[in-house]
Amino acid sequence: MKTSFASHIRVIWAMAVKDIQSSLTERAFMLTSIIIPINFLLLFLLFALTGGQAPTAVVLEDKGPYAQQLLSAMEHSHSFIIQQTTASNAQNLMQKGQIVAIVTVPASFDAALEHGKEIELPVVVNNLDVDFTNDIRRAVPLAITSFYANAFPNQVVVRAHEVDTYFQDTGYIQYIVVSLMVVSIMLGGLLQAGSNAAREYEKGTIKELILAPANPLAIQVGKILGALVLSSSSVVVMIIVIVFLIGVWPLHWEELVGFVLLLMVTFVAAGTLIGTLIRRRQAVIPLSIGLSIPIFFISGAFGPAIWGDPVTAAIAQLQPIYYGIAIFQHAFHNFTTTSTGPGVDEFILIGFAAAMVAISAIALGSSRGRGVTH
Amino acid sequence: MKDIESFQADNRNSDMVAIEINNLTKRFGNFTAIDGLTLTVKYGEIFGLLGPNGSGKTTTINIVSGLSKPTYGQVIVLGHDIMKNTRSVHAALGAVPQETSLYEELSAWTNMSVHADLYRVGGAHRDKRITEMLNLVQLYERKDSRVSTFSGGMKRRLALARALLHDPQLLYLDEPTLGVDVQSRRAIWDYILDVKQDKGKTVLLTTNYLEEANALCDRIAIIDHGKLVVLDTPAELKRRYCDTVMEIETASSASSQLLVQLRNIPGISQVAQDDKILKVAMSGNDLSATGKIITLVTQESNIRRIAQREPNLEEIFLSLTGTGLRD
Repeated sequence: MKTSFASHIRVIWAMAVKDIQSSLTERAFMLTSIIIPINFLLLFLLFALTGGQAPTAVVLEDKGPYAQQLLSAMEHSHSFIIQQTTASNAQNLMQKGQIVAIVTVPASFDAALEHGKEIELPVVVNNLDVDFTNDIRRAVPLAITSFYANAFPNQVVVRAHEVDTYFQDTGYIQYIVVSLMVVSIMLGGLLQAGSNAAREYEKGTIKELILAPANPLAIQVGKILGALVLSSSSVVVMIIVIVFLIGVWPLHWEELVGFVLLLMVTFVAAGTLIGTLIRRRQAVIPLSIGLSIPIFFISGAFGPAIWGDPVTAAIAQLQPIYYGIAIFQHAFHNFTTTSTGPGVDEFILIGFAAAMVAISAIALGSSRGRGVTH
Repeated sequence: MKDIESFQADNRNSDMVAIEINNLTKRFGNFTAIDGLTLTVKYGEIFGLLGPNGSGKTTTINIVSGLSKPTYGQVIVLGHDIMKNTRSVHAALGAVPQETSLYEELSAWTNMSVHADLYRVGGAHRDKRITEMLNLVQLYERKDSRVSTFSGGMKRRLALARALLHDPQLLYLDEPTLGVDVQSRRAIWDYILDVKQDKGKTVLLTTNYLEEANALCDRIAIIDHGKLVVLDTPAELKRRYCDTVMEIETASSASSQLLVQLRNIPGISQVAQDDKILKVAMSGNDLSATGKIITLVTQESNIRRIAQREPNLEEIFLSLTGTGLRD
């Protein structure tokens, strides 16, 4: 059946406007679709802020300059949250489970160093979590080495000469917040578009769409356009939080705008597909969250996925979010975190987006044969 | 195959077939919803599919409209195989599903407008056509109201207006007055009759209401357990069963001996008893049979009321299927 291009455009426009109007009448669902991705960003950010360093009590029984230098070395090691306190208070904190370790600098510390005597630093460790225990086991010797290199520079003759690949250092938060933005865009897109598509089946209005002579691709593109507009509000809020509140400024704004749009199309199309297949909004919400969290963890959120084990890296490369994180790290920090590079990653994502749009149209078209009511 | 427009030009006001269903079978696992159904719907007629709940009416209409695929068989709609040329058929089909499928959170006008875009009703003609259809079902004054504020009857009327918006040649209505009050039901019947008489459309409807089928349909197919039980005009169906039903209310229930005696009178096709009411189906206009019935009944009991009427489709359905419509 021949259909003009203009009539396809009218179908796309009608679907987009209709979905926006329908969503605006269901404010609870719309707020959910906006709040959950932002909440996800903030929660993971808090996790990143608090979860990386071990709370440690330091008991300085010697107040001499060397003891102070050791304390300073520990404070600058990026491994401890240091709390200087008394021995009794440190024991009390340990019993309450509020600290991971107690490092005691003995009273004879400065004198022993001056006389070249061996010193033992008592380190009490709460070893209920081996991750934190190993942090302490690694970080205390490193802090001692660092202290030694500063206090006795003539005695430490082997030093690392660092040559940086990138001109700037990027903190853990600055790195992870970009990954969090990508996963939040994914979650927002899945929720908004999935709800819009599933609503048609829940309310029985899908018959109006399936019985229409309109092309299923035009219908789905219209629904994707509507969901893009609706989910853009949460993306704008996320950009404001990341850029202006957390202070992570993108190095390439133009890339950021383009990549945001590309990712939104990819995940909104994926959401439309999920909603078309699942047909229930109550199922779309937990599934979107359930998909986002594991995919987030394996797709290089905390560092390039190719640095991980080969199996995890191979699985990560099947996910669009892997390429999304890569191109966003490039837009924000000029980083290359995949072996393919940002240019190829961009094309792979365009392929994912096109495939999602096409499959969602096929899924809608095949609803005819599968029946449309529950 | 011909395109829809040339099919319409060839067949308008003729006896040609609008829908042809051949050996249609639909199975859901081990359950057979439709079992070798074969029937035709003529161009320009109102055709009713009747049957108890679960008889296969909605499954049939879903296949005819391309919402579902048959397990076997073929459905030709307006000259096109529905499975091969679904979108062409959809362009010429107006549908009023059982649950109306209206966007209740949106206004009546927006619902019509979305439908216009989906069915390519465009240009300056568009708004005029929407206005015309809303006026037809007397909802223009409520065009800006949300559909969720409408009564059941108003929603049905709006769904009908929407289905007619793109001037379809074939209209399908699934239980068009289900859950609608008596006044709205009459109004909907008038619109459906108008669609056929003034606009020459073919109408396929399913219904549980025999009164509705009687009032609207040119021909009726009664289906049960997915099979065609009978297909004919309402008048012919009545004639096949009997010409007249005599209802006699007596002071006491009739004995089984009286029932046997009544059944033995020539021209009596059926005798049924419902508490103290005897229903006697009579063929022909033999007055002597009427006299014999009254004589036999008065020998056993006093007659309180006596009436003669046409048979209704409930009785026909019961006699054909052995079960009532509201199973």
